[in-house]
Order: sequence, then structure tokens, then C-alpha cells
Amino acid sequence: MPGCLPAGSGLTSSRSLPYSSVPVLQARGVTKTMGVGRAARRVLDDVSLDVEAGEVVAVLGRSGSGKSTLLHLLGALDRPDAGRIVLGGNELTAQRARTLARTRLRHVGFVFQSFHLIEELSGEENVLLPARLPGAARGGERRGRALIEELGLSEISDRRPHELSGGEQQRFAIARALVNDPELLLADEPTGNLDQENGAAVLALLRGLHERAVVLVTHEPDAAAIADRVLHLVDGQLAAVPHAHAHVRALKSA
Amino acid sequence: MRAAFAEARYGLRLRRRRSLLTALGIALAAAMLAASVVVSDSLGRGFDRAARAAGLPDVIVRFDPQPAALVSERIQALPDIATFSLRQEFTNVSVSANGEGSSQTSVEVVWPGRRGYAIVAGRDLSGAPGEVVVERGLAAAWGIRLDSVIQIAGLPPQRVVGFSEAPDNVSYPLAVPRIYVSQAGLAAGGQQLGQSVNLAQIWLRDPRHVDEVLVQARATSYGLRGLQFVTRSGVRVLLDQAAGIVIDLLVALSLIALGTAGVMLASSARAEVQRRLAAIGVRRAVGASRRHLVATQALEALLVAVPAATVGAVAGTLATYGPTSRLLMMLNEPPAGLGLVAPLLAAWLASAAIPALAVAWPAWRAAGRPPVSLLQGAELQRRRRGRPRLGAPRPGLALLGGRLAGARRARLAATVTALGFSTAFVLLMLALASALTALETDPGALGKRYQLTAALPASAVRQVEQIAGVQAAAPRYEDQAVDSFSLGETIDAIAYPGDHTIFEAPPLTAGSRLHGTREAEVGVGLADALGLAPGSTLAIELPSGTELRLRVSGIVSSLAHDGLVAYIPAGALLAADPYAPEELAVRVRPGANLTSVSNALGATAAPATTATGRGVPLVDVLRSILRAVAIVDGLVCVYALIQACALTVQERRRTVAVLRAFGAGAPAVRRLLAGAMLALVLPAAVVGILLERLVLGPALAGLAVNYATLSLSAGLPEIAAVLAGLAVAGAVAVFWVARQAMREGVLLGLGGT
Repeated sequence: MPGCLPAGSGLTSSRSLPYSSVPVLQARGVTKTMGVGRAARRVLDDVSLDVEAGEVVAVLGRSGSGKSTLLHLLGALDRPDAGRIVLGGNELTAQRARTLARTRLRHVGFVFQSFHLIEELSGEENVLLPARLPGAARGGERRGRALIEELGLSEISDRRPHELSGGEQQRFAIARALVNDPELLLADEPTGNLDQENGAAVLALLRGLHERAVVLVTHEPDAAAIADRVLHLVDGQLAAVPHAHAHVRALKSA
Repeated sequence: MRAAFAEARYGLRLRRRRSLLTALGIALAAAMLAASVVVSDSLGRGFDRAARAAGLPDVIVRFDPQPAALVSERIQALPDIATFSLRQEFTNVSVSANGEGSSQTSVEVVWPGRRGYAIVAGRDLSGAPGEVVVERGLAAAWGIRLDSVIQIAGLPPQRVVGFSEAPDNVSYPLAVPRIYVSQAGLAAGGQQLGQSVNLAQIWLRDPRHVDEVLVQARATSYGLRGLQFVTRSGVRVLLDQAAGIVIDLLVALSLIALGTAGVMLASSARAEVQRRLAAIGVRRAVGASRRHLVATQALEALLVAVPAATVGAVAGTLATYGPTSRLLMMLNEPPAGLGLVAPLLAAWLASAAIPALAVAWPAWRAAGRPPVSLLQGAELQRRRRGRPRLGAPRPGLALLGGRLAGARRARLAATVTALGFSTAFVLLMLALASALTALETDPGALGKRYQLTAALPASAVRQVEQIAGVQAAAPRYEDQAVDSFSLGETIDAIAYPGDHTIFEAPPLTAGSRLHGTREAEVGVGLADALGLAPGSTLAIELPSGTELRLRVSGIVSSLAHDGLVAYIPAGALLAADPYAPEELAVRVRPGANLTSVSNALGATAAPATTATGRGVPLVDVLRSILRAVAIVDGLVCVYALIQACALTVQERRRTVAVLRAFGAGAPAVRRLLAGAMLALVLPAAVVGILLERLVLGPALAGLAVNYATLSLSAGLPEIAAVLAGLAVAGAVAVFWVARQAMREGVLLGLGGT
């Protein structure tokens, strides 16, 4: 089972971004209201967040607290009502849909709770698919095969999703998220559909992604335990959790 | 039920755009069905309707003018006669009205008794002087109105009091103009016509005994010359031959259109139910009954289907009723009128009910699942297991699209079949259009191998053969003979002094070519009408009055004169009729310049005439109808492609959303859809081409065999045109659906809601 992998592998960003104080992701005053009329609810209220390269940030919160909404905004899948989001130096908020798609292709990788592997494709084909999208950076296929190798998926790379376990599917999904060498990896409840053993393996994998910014949203204390920083989303407000690991331990024992 | 109705209305408001596409498909299918009903019913039952309305006689007898008393006496002596009436028919009369005119008009002087025509406007002849009734087709063509004045050579100005229809012949402009005046009216106006008649109409008590009556009539017709019999069934055979092809084509096309629309609508309904499985699960979980859920879905479908089917049925009816009525008017048959209401109502009901059933069935199946499995995201269709079949090392987006389309095998097969049939049909229409064009311009299509004729005597053959570019020349004799049994139509008796197949070789369908001096080849139309087969005896009477009896050696398919032709030896023809019309048939060498040969012939003697198939009156009408049919069929193809593409996106919205989440833009989605499209179009094109070349083309050629041997196998230009059309339709579908797909939010697709 893969754990922390050495720098220079497929799991490590090949970009020349130094592990520096320049944040990969900056969000300032992000506000988002969901629903209309009487059902309208401000799920994010003036949220600000910086994530630096090599940093793993966990966002905790109860169901419906707006964690996934935040992730979607950070990953350019949705637009905020107010505020600005800067990814890799590019302001996302005012960009056209086409530019946002290009940003997702080159700078963002997604890992979903329910994997979202394409049923008609084998594990390997799923991994390589983003690398074959028009506009993808070169070298994606080579990197994808290396990722499959490094994640110990070579033996099962020709299997289709329904022939794989949940953990295997999520590892393929992580490989797919990394195939275009993004600076930012966004994981939405990545262990939500996994048993404890597979969940632990996936978390170890996310922890081992050197030089990439990782934001994972979860309500599971185990998942938060791997983070460098833990933030809590309550009533639309994002608050840092001081003594995060103690907090996580407390959550686990609760 | 009220709750289900309210829920259905809400669902409809929620899915406005999707409902619009479904409505389009239903409207198109309903339009096609209604159009087919209108044309098939109108043409298929037109003759019966016209014959009933006109009181068409069972037998029409033409003869040289005879005293009316003598003719009446002979007819009254026949068995089983219900009634009869007499006429005096004047042909080639000069008539003019409203600035139009014709010197070939047939003026029928009707005697008292049953008319044998129907009055469709105005009134019948009263017996007062100065009144005429004209055929409806003639009135429409010349713009004649009731009370218009018409000039008939030899008569004072006549007033039009009514329009008539009689299906014993096609109408003007397919045939000569026909006008009726009454004998009593002419007598009252001081016209001296004498008591002669040359036409009798006979109605039998039991029309099944027409053969026996004809035998008796021949036996008692001594002294009557120029005798020709036309039976009601003979008229029907001739008219049905043309209409039959159109009806068969339309019925086949409507079935294809219905099949295509049915498959697409059923697939769309299934996809929609699949999409709503979770919602159905929630409703089941909170206690909604299976029946309520199915009623909701079916009602929602009906709310879309009923107005769409109504619009489609009305559009299809309006689009075809006018042209069909014009065609019927040319055939001297009345429009179907209220008789169409019942079949159109049935078509409308089918168009509305099929989509509702298509939705109700998968909804019934879905609602039967345990609510828990529905809530957990069960699939309506069991997921196929197994390794990827197209396991190419580089599965690009197009290949993925192909796999997505191929994942629903049954639908893929149904769509490919439906598209294949549509493709085959369009190919067939194009091949037919080419064949019909060839009939007008290429004498070879009629079995004619000569290209030019010249009004020169037989002695000029050598001189003509020396003209550069001429391969062969021979005298060609063509006489208008009549059969004295039941047909009553003229027969083209054609003769060459040697091997006629050098100049005319209509394909042999039975027997052998004529060899002896007492043999004949007859056209299929003639063989059908007279019941001739190889070995039978053909008895024809030539204008000289001499009867010629020949042994039938073979049956040939010929389009000329509806197949009422006989190839006979020149010696036999000239012995029976030394004054048979003669011209020179000229066969031009392959590659030679037809114009220069024609000019050389013109310089030699008489101007040359190009041999063509003109004079086949229904060809133009057929061609316009088939062209319209091809356009509708093409629209069905476009709809099927758009719907298939839209279904792929609808069913795989999560896949599309995942791709978009990873940065796929519109070009990537288009590439994906192009792959799905190719998975449908490529096999459909192969199926269509094979189907047309191996099945439909030969089958239709078989239907048309009474007229000609047509090559209806699509050639390279037709295939290229259809492939290009498919490519364009596919591209339109891909762009349109990709545009729609890109409008949906990525998150919506990822959530599957």
C-alpha cells in the first residue's frame, strides 16, 4: 500500500513552484447563496482562504454546512456571488466558461466521494482520459502510466470500475486527478464511501502528494488528521481550528 | 387522478425543453403518418369512390356510328343488362374558353338515360339548348367557372352549367379535354345531328358476369364496325398500376418513420424514467402507489403527446391533402373528403397513445422496484458486465462516445436499423428520381437502342447509314391496332424488317424473342390486360380493318403506352396494312455526337426527332410525390440522429459532467458526441446501402416491371450524396446537442439531479 512517496515520482508536482509563501490558491471574501426566495440560504459568508504548495488543508463541517460548495468554487466548477478566487496567479471570478474549463484542465484535479469513474472505460483509460482532452499539457499519458505503476494499480489497470473495490476505484480516481499535473487537488469526502482500511490508504496517498496544494472537505476526523491545517465551516464562516490535532483526537474519541 | 394530473402538469413545466424535443418527434411521426393516410387512402380508394359517385358503367362500347335504334335493339338482346345509355362522341373538335383552346377536344353528345359521370359542381344538363358540362380537370386548367361561355366549333356559344368527373379516363391535361352536351339540348337549339350514336354505356345487374356478356356482345355485334369494349375492371387495372407504386412506397415509408420515431420516443421515455428513479423511489417510500406513479408519468406524456400529435396530424394532412386532391383531379377521381376522418383519427390516436405507453411501461417497471434500491441509485436496465470490447490502447473521446452509444445494445440496433431503413429509402428515392429522369432523356431506359428518328422512306437506309456517327438505321413501322375482346384500348403494333432488338430491346420477362413471321412479343401491360402468355394467340385489328392473328413468343417489359405494345414482324404488318406509318430509326455509335448526326439527318431530308419516353403522363406526378417523400424521410433521419445524440447525453450526463469537471470544453464534448454519432451512422450507412441495393431497389423495380426495367440500384453519386447528407445531419445533431449539454451546469450533472 503506498504511503509517502519520494519526490520526483508521478505523485509529485513537476512544476517549478517552490514550497514558498506564495499561495497556490487565494480566496477572499467569497460569498455564496443557495436556493431562491424563502428557501435562499447564505452557505458561504465572506470566506477567505490561502493554500500554499505542499500544504494539505482539511475543511470540516457538518452535512449541509457548505463544504462541497466551497470546494466547487475553489475548483472553478461554480462562481461565487461575491469575492474573488485566485488560482496560480489567475483571477477566476471574472473568467469565461471556456477559460474556467482550461483552468480546471491544467491547474485543478478533483477526487469525488463516489469516484465518478466512467463505467465504459478501464481503470487505465479513466486515468488517461483527462490527458487526452483537447488542450491538455503534453506528457500526461506518460505521467498517467507512472502514476498507475506507483499506486500499485498496474495489475488491475485493464479492469472496469465495477470489477474494482472501492479503494481501488478511489486510487484510480486520484491518479486521474493527478494526470495533468495540477497544482491544486480538491478532494470531496474522499473516504466517504470506503471502509476503514481503504480509507486509511487513500488518506496516506493524499498526504504523500509533495509540492501540491490539497484541499479536502470531510466530516471524518480520520481524514482531517492528515492535514497540515484544519478549518471548520460553521454558519457559512470558515474558522481555523487551533490545536487541530488535539481537536481531531477529541472528535475521534467523541 | 386529480393529484396525478397536477403532478404531471408540474413535471411538464419543470422539463420544458426536453418536452419540446419529445413533442417535435411526436409531431413529426404524426405528420408522416397522417400524410401517408391521406395519400394512401385517397389514391387507394379513389377509383372506387369515383366509380360509385359517377355510376361508372360496367362496360363502355365504342363503334363506328350506327343508328341509335339498331344499337338499342342489339344491347337489349344481351343477357343481364340493368340499363344502358347512348352517346355520340366527336373527337378532335376545336374548343376555346377563357383564352385557352384545344383542337383535340372530345365532345360527347349524351342521350337520355344514365350519365356515367358525376356532377361535382353546378348541375347536370337539363335538355335546354346552349348548355354544356365540362370535366373538372379541364375547368381547373382553363380557369372555367360556372356560367362561363365556351366556344365549340360548329355550335353557338354554350354556357357551362356544371363540372363533371368520370373515372373511365384520366382528365385533362393528362388526356384530351372532354365536354358533354345533351342531344335534346342540341335538337332544341336547331342542330341537325341525326340519330346516329357511336358509344354505349352498359350497366349490368351482376357485374361478375361481365365476361359472359362480352362474349354474347361479340356474338351479336355483326354489322357493327370498329368495335371496342372497355370494362370497368380494365380501367381500374390501368389506373391502379401507377397509383400502386406510390401507395406501396408511402406505406413502407410511414412504417419506417413510425418505427424510427417509436424507437426514439421509447428510448427517450426510458432515459427520462431512469433519470427520475430516485424521485420515484422517494415517492414510493412516502407511500405513493405504483398506479399513481404510472398515471403521473403517462399523463405527463399525454400532455406532450396530444397537442404534438394534433399539430403533426393537421400539418401532415394539410401538406398532402392539396397535392393529392390535384393528383386525384388529374385522375378524374374525387378527393377523399370526410372519408379520411376515421383513418386520420386512428392515426392521431396512435400518435398520441404510443408515446404515453412508451413512458408508462418503464415507469411501471421502475415503480415495481423496492424503494430502497431506487433510492440507492438502481438502474432501470441491468448493467452489462465484461471487459471493454473496444480495448484500443488509445481510447480517445470519440471512441468513448462510440462505447457510450454501444452500451445500450438494443437501442443501438433499433436506431441503426431505423436509420439504415431511412438511408435506404432516401437512396431509393434518389435512384428512382434518376431513373425517372432517364425515362425522359435516355431512350435506353425504355429498351430503345436508337436515338433518333427521321421521316424518311425505307429506301433511304443506305444513305443514312453513311452519315458519320450512325451505327445502324432501319425502317420502323408503328400502327395503332385495337383488340376486340375486353381491353378497348389501342395497342401500339411496332415492326422492323429484321431483328428488332438492334433498335428496340425491351427486356424479356417470359418466353423468347420473335423469330417466325407469325409471332409477336407483347408488353406486360398488354399481356396482363388480355391474359396472354407465351404460346397464346394475339388477335389485333389494324386500321385497314384486317385482323392479324399471331402467336405470342414472349412477354417484354415496356414503359411505352403503359405496356400496351406488340412487336410484330414487318412482313405481317405490311401485308395486313400496307399504309402503316413509317419512319427511319437511327442508332448512333457510342461516343458519337448526337447533335451533329441529327443536323446531318436534317440536311439530308426531314428533321430528326430524339427518341424519348415523353408521353408517360404520370411520371412527372410520381417524381414530385417521391421527391416530397424523400424530403420527409430526410427529416426523419435528422430527428433520429438528434434524438439519439440527445439521449446519449441525457443518459450519460454524469460522464459528460465528469469530463467537464476535468476541463473538457465544447470541442471535447463535440468529439465525444461525434464518436457516438459515428457508432450509429457508419453501420446505418452500410445497412442502408446494402438494403437498397439488395432488397428495396430490386423490389421496386419488380413493382414497376409493367412499365419498364428500371435500374434502381443506387449508384456512386447517389451513395455519395446520401453519405454527405448523413454527415451533415450528424454534424448538425452533434453541434446542437453539444451546445445544449454545455448549457447545463457541471454540478447538476455530477449530482445526477
